[in-house]
Amino acid sequence: MTHPPTVDERRLSPRVRRLIADAGPLVALIVLIVVFAVANPVFVSPGNIGILLSQAAVPLVIATGLTFVILLGGIDLSIEGVVATSSLVFALTVANDRNDLALGLFGALLAVLAGSVFGLANGLANVKLGIPSFMATLGLGAVGIGIATVLFAGRSPRVLDSGMRMLGQGSTLGIANIFLIAVLVLVIGWFVQRFTRLGRYGYVIGGDEAVARLSGVRVGRYKIGAFVLGGTASGIAGVLLGSQLGVGMPTIGSGTMFTAITAVVLGGTLLTGGRGGVLRSFVGVLIIVVLANGLILIGVNPYAQVAVQGLVIIAAVVATGWRLRTRVRIIK
Amino acid sequence: MNHIFRRRGIVAGGIALTLAAALIGCSSASDDSGSTGGTSDDVTAVQSIRSMSNPYHANWADGGALFGDWADVEVVTIVDEGDSQTQLSKIRALGAEGKVFALNVDPNDSSTTEAIVKAVTEAGGYVVTQWNKPDDLWPWDVSDNWVAHISFNGETSGEEVSQALFDAMGGSGNIIALQGILDNVPAKQRFAGLQKALEANPGIKLLADQTANWDRAEAFSVTQTLLSQYQGQVDGIWAANDNMALGAFEALTAAGLAGTIPIVGFDAVPEALENIQNSDETGYIATVSTDPWWQGGAGLSLAYQAATGKIKVSELSHEQRAFYGKQIVVTLDNVGDFTKAPLLDALKSDLENPFLRSQGPIS
Repeated sequence: MTHPPTVDERRLSPRVRRLIADAGPLVALIVLIVVFAVANPVFVSPGNIGILLSQAAVPLVIATGLTFVILLGGIDLSIEGVVATSSLVFALTVANDRNDLALGLFGALLAVLAGSVFGLANGLANVKLGIPSFMATLGLGAVGIGIATVLFAGRSPRVLDSGMRMLGQGSTLGIANIFLIAVLVLVIGWFVQRFTRLGRYGYVIGGDEAVARLSGVRVGRYKIGAFVLGGTASGIAGVLLGSQLGVGMPTIGSGTMFTAITAVVLGGTLLTGGRGGVLRSFVGVLIIVVLANGLILIGVNPYAQVAVQGLVIIAAVVATGWRLRTRVRIIK
Repeated sequence: MNHIFRRRGIVAGGIALTLAAALIGCSSASDDSGSTGGTSDDVTAVQSIRSMSNPYHANWADGGALFGDWADVEVVTIVDEGDSQTQLSKIRALGAEGKVFALNVDPNDSSTTEAIVKAVTEAGGYVVTQWNKPDDLWPWDVSDNWVAHISFNGETSGEEVSQALFDAMGGSGNIIALQGILDNVPAKQRFAGLQKALEANPGIKLLADQTANWDRAEAFSVTQTLLSQYQGQVDGIWAANDNMALGAFEALTAAGLAGTIPIVGFDAVPEALENIQNSDETGYIATVSTDPWWQGGAGLSLAYQAATGKIKVSELSHEQRAFYGKQIVVTLDNVGDFTKAPLLDALKSDLENPFLRSQGPIS
């Protein structure tokens, strides 16, 4: 801290200051919930809360994986392509109306694995070929859409396996299965981030890659690992969407990438890397899902919704990042 | 049957090989038509569509095959896989062959339409375009080689399919509507049709309309939200396309409501047709079809008749050169007509008179 302290910082201890900054997105989320609940009590009805949780599931899975990539200062733009391929692998390997395969859970695992392979390809292209993650993942995302389109062959294969449909459609003890799966992914993500080298070194590499390299961290290996986590998460999302909608489609993931990147950034993970985490991304996801649901419930004109959504997101980012203004930080 | 297989072979060639291969395909097709004889040896009949792998265009091509059987000519089908440049260069290649050709085309976008009709005019061919056209560009302003443009009015069909929904609801109750991309022309027309139907049915109330951007996953979550907002009050769901209607159907399934709330959509995609076949269980009441077999058959017939001189383009009225085709509401009663190609007899009168289904001029 070499900059001159501001008024606030002189009064508060560093610990309290940090707490306030960290709690920013959470405060924004609570404010949104209170506003919507007052405007329309249906918003906090048990039925709507259940729906909110199920709507948060797919973005949460993707954002959890993406957090690891962004923590390193990278980006994954292949999400929609990977989700598309995964949804088709899923729909074509479980019982379906296109072929005689009926691999059940094994089919779902194959689809997730397809996502991991894409993640690995992203990582290798970035680390071994030295292509910026922005370009490498954009290209592989297009590959994903292409593979999905070939598998699609003009008509959506329908999932006929009722057990597999329950992943996305059923519920256990009143909670949507899809949300339970997403929470499981989040918990695994948190564990990896907190207790494994892959997670811990992520912060070091994202903070300063050159320093990490000089300290003897095998940067390339951990970077590839982060991309594999991202791809795997997208693969899981493809399975969940395929299960929920009962089909595999090249366009099934459209819009998921924007939501996921926004959620990660909104939660407070820096796009430049080095700071953030999967729990923050969870808060970011909830902000976006609450916003989309709440704006419909309070009856905002559909023409205006997207604009309002954008404005609230920018307002939330500004509010939560206000403290950072004073730092010497270059915004790119 | 052999006829059809030969044609399919040519199509496959067009898909698999390059421009040069497509040219060879064309010339072999014209040799064949020469050997079968007929009044118009020198006219090649050509369909230009996006791809054979989507059911809509596959049906379109089958309609063209019916025309081929009826007129006893070979029909060449060229595909572009959604690439406007490919579409244009394949059509230019037709002109380079030096024969008169009759072309029925589904241009990929409005700007391609303009380039296509100019290329056909230069080559001395005859073309009928469908769906996309720049608003201020009309066939009579370009040349007699651009025979006609056919499009479809979403407002009329929107009204009809909405009525089918209201009838299924017994004429009273509440609906929610899923709109397409809001500034998109068909989205606007279809929604205007719904509003007209609402005026005619005072017993029906539109609780809410939201956009789901033509997208299935988005329709799923928007429907979830609307169902929780109007818990127990939603008696019907209207969607501006089948993709969103299918997303709404899955949301109903997840909520344990599938089959209890009627749904309608547009476009007659195969999954929607399957659901309509089981409408008792699915609640999927109706969708709307432009009848792709008619688009492929009658459109090609119009271009062909202009090329052979049977129809004098210069004598056609403006209303005949830019008209809306008929869209058909598909319900349990007639869904069988849309899951397989019609018999030639059923389409014959439309092939003889391509204007038979005209719903008036494009405005």
